[in-house]
Amino acid sequence: MESFNTPSATAAGPTADMANATADRFERDTIDILKRLSRRPIEPTLDKELMADLGFDSLQILEFIGELEDHFNIAVPLNSLTHIRTVGQIVAEVRGLAASRPGAPA
Amino acid sequence: MSSRKTIGEALVAAADTHFGLRFIEHDATTKVTSYRDLLADALCIAGALRAHGYTSGDRVALVIPEVSRFVHAFFGIVAAGLVPVPLCPPAQAGDVATFAKQSLHIIRASRAVAVLTTDDVAPLLHASAGHPDAGGPLSQTFHTLDQLRTGDAQLASPVALTLDDIALLQFTSGSTALPKGVVLSHGNIAANVEAILGPSGLDARAGDVAVSWLPLYHDMGLIGMLLSSLYAPADAVLMSQVLFLKRPSAWLNAISTWGGTVSYAPNFAYELCRRRVKSSQLAALDLSRWRVAGCGAEPIRPDTLMQFADYFAPAGFAATSFLPSYGLAEHSLAVSFAHGGLDVDVVDAELLVQESRAVPVVNGAASLRIVRCGEPFPGHAIRIVDEAFNELPERHVGSIVAAGPSVMQGYFEQPAATAGALRDGWLQTGDLGYMANGSLYLCGRTKDLIIRQGRKYHPPDIESSLADLQGVALSGVVVFAITTVGDTDEVVAVIETRAGGRGPDIEEAVRRRVRETAGLDIDRVILTPPGTIPRTTSGKVRRSETRERLEAGTLVR
Repeated sequence: MESFNTPSATAAGPTADMANATADRFERDTIDILKRLSRRPIEPTLDKELMADLGFDSLQILEFIGELEDHFNIAVPLNSLTHIRTVGQIVAEVRGLAASRPGAPA
Repeated sequence: MSSRKTIGEALVAAADTHFGLRFIEHDATTKVTSYRDLLADALCIAGALRAHGYTSGDRVALVIPEVSRFVHAFFGIVAAGLVPVPLCPPAQAGDVATFAKQSLHIIRASRAVAVLTTDDVAPLLHASAGHPDAGGPLSQTFHTLDQLRTGDAQLASPVALTLDDIALLQFTSGSTALPKGVVLSHGNIAANVEAILGPSGLDARAGDVAVSWLPLYHDMGLIGMLLSSLYAPADAVLMSQVLFLKRPSAWLNAISTWGGTVSYAPNFAYELCRRRVKSSQLAALDLSRWRVAGCGAEPIRPDTLMQFADYFAPAGFAATSFLPSYGLAEHSLAVSFAHGGLDVDVVDAELLVQESRAVPVVNGAASLRIVRCGEPFPGHAIRIVDEAFNELPERHVGSIVAAGPSVMQGYFEQPAATAGALRDGWLQTGDLGYMANGSLYLCGRTKDLIIRQGRKYHPPDIESSLADLQGVALSGVVVFAITTVGDTDEVVAVIETRAGGRGPDIEEAVRRRVRETAGLDIDRVILTPPGTIPRTTSGKVRRSETRERLEAGTLVR
């Protein structure tokens, strides 16, 4: 089934640079929320896939997105939901949305 | 008989009223459209579709994530005399791979002439279709609503159809097997909606407002909520499923704010609300007008509903609002509704399992609680039969079969599957149940189905997806669900392993594969030596026996 992966889903993956960077509050809070919602103990590093590695099903992923939206006061576009696979992608998305939010610090 | 309408005729009739639809999208943005405006837009879209040369009866695949756009597109296709084939959009499909696989199959199997979709979704389908394993580029023309709306060939009225014409191709959802297309005529849908709205259904009345987050690509949302509101006609509030799953309180808020009187959901949604709506939010909710809280599409757990009722009682929710229901896509949607709230039959567990008899329990013997699912609708019939198709007496468990004007025309271009499902006009539902005092009680499934959050999974498909995993013995896989009363199904995989494989690796690989191919979480993986799983003389695994032995503690010695 790996063959059906879309190019866009993997191309937008987290880079090694990102994984090495000091964790900012987006990364820290996102990982805290993931840990809180998981049914079992997990180590959600940036390279981990939500479904395959962390055991989230589609229902939990949407619960997670809802928590992120409330926590960061953002709205994740539908199209992003389709493409997000890894923790790193989520963190990047959240960071981008928060930055473009009206009134966000430049 | 009553004067039943095609969907197009129902839209024209509703356009003459002041009723309409309120859409609440995934980001909580809201839009209101009257049926009058909906008809006008549908005629515009329909004109453009006809201008492309599509003719009555042609199938058009419909894959649109936004609620409002989906509904407009649906009625555009219908007004053009074409047959909508609704597809699950990607955001809800779990992941892109599952979405692409199922969508491509449905688009090809329905022999759709066109795909009505969005600029976001179309590239996903094209990219996946181009893969060598996926059958090559799609021959269908792709359209978006914005494109079609620029046309100036607006129709004066919906293309005239009869009740015998095909209205909808509803592909059965969620299965990892390639889904089959349920063919419904306009007559099927009109008959089922009539039953749903009638006194043995919702008992529709003036002032009713339906509120729904149910997916519109599936029968309960599309026929039960949208089309029933159109035919009534009545106001409806249609909310994105994504919004509900992100924030379950949005559903109850909508019922409270817009005075919802009728709303439906599978068992898991009631559980989700109780777990995730905070008690501090209760004071702001008014659920007192919610007179029909329908529950169906997956096994109903009495404990879940009672806990919901207790939790939301301070918001004015009445437990008597519960309307347990039974239905399936092959019967358009609804088969029976149980009025009077949640009614549980407490039967002797031993007699039910050993003798297939549902005998009210005495003297504290081990018991099972079975939910009453109501009586057949006027003009429809339900029977319980044995394997030889003989009708069984009351309180004997057998296969549920149903007949009447709601029964599908068949599976699209699948004569063998159709012949297997329809016998002398009786639909074999694949479900087990019994009748008592004229009411249907639903016990389980004959097909070993696993049901999770309203989605159905076929064990043989999951098993075959695991066959080539490293470390797994030849045909050494059995997957099934253990149903415990008051809890959700526990999904178990029993795996015979080859020598040399590392247990934790195999277990992880099994979980990962099932998640990726089926979007299903396995609760328990049991690794065993070859020869553990019981088989038939021809080498097929015996699934039920494996489950029974596991439960009895005799599978692994």
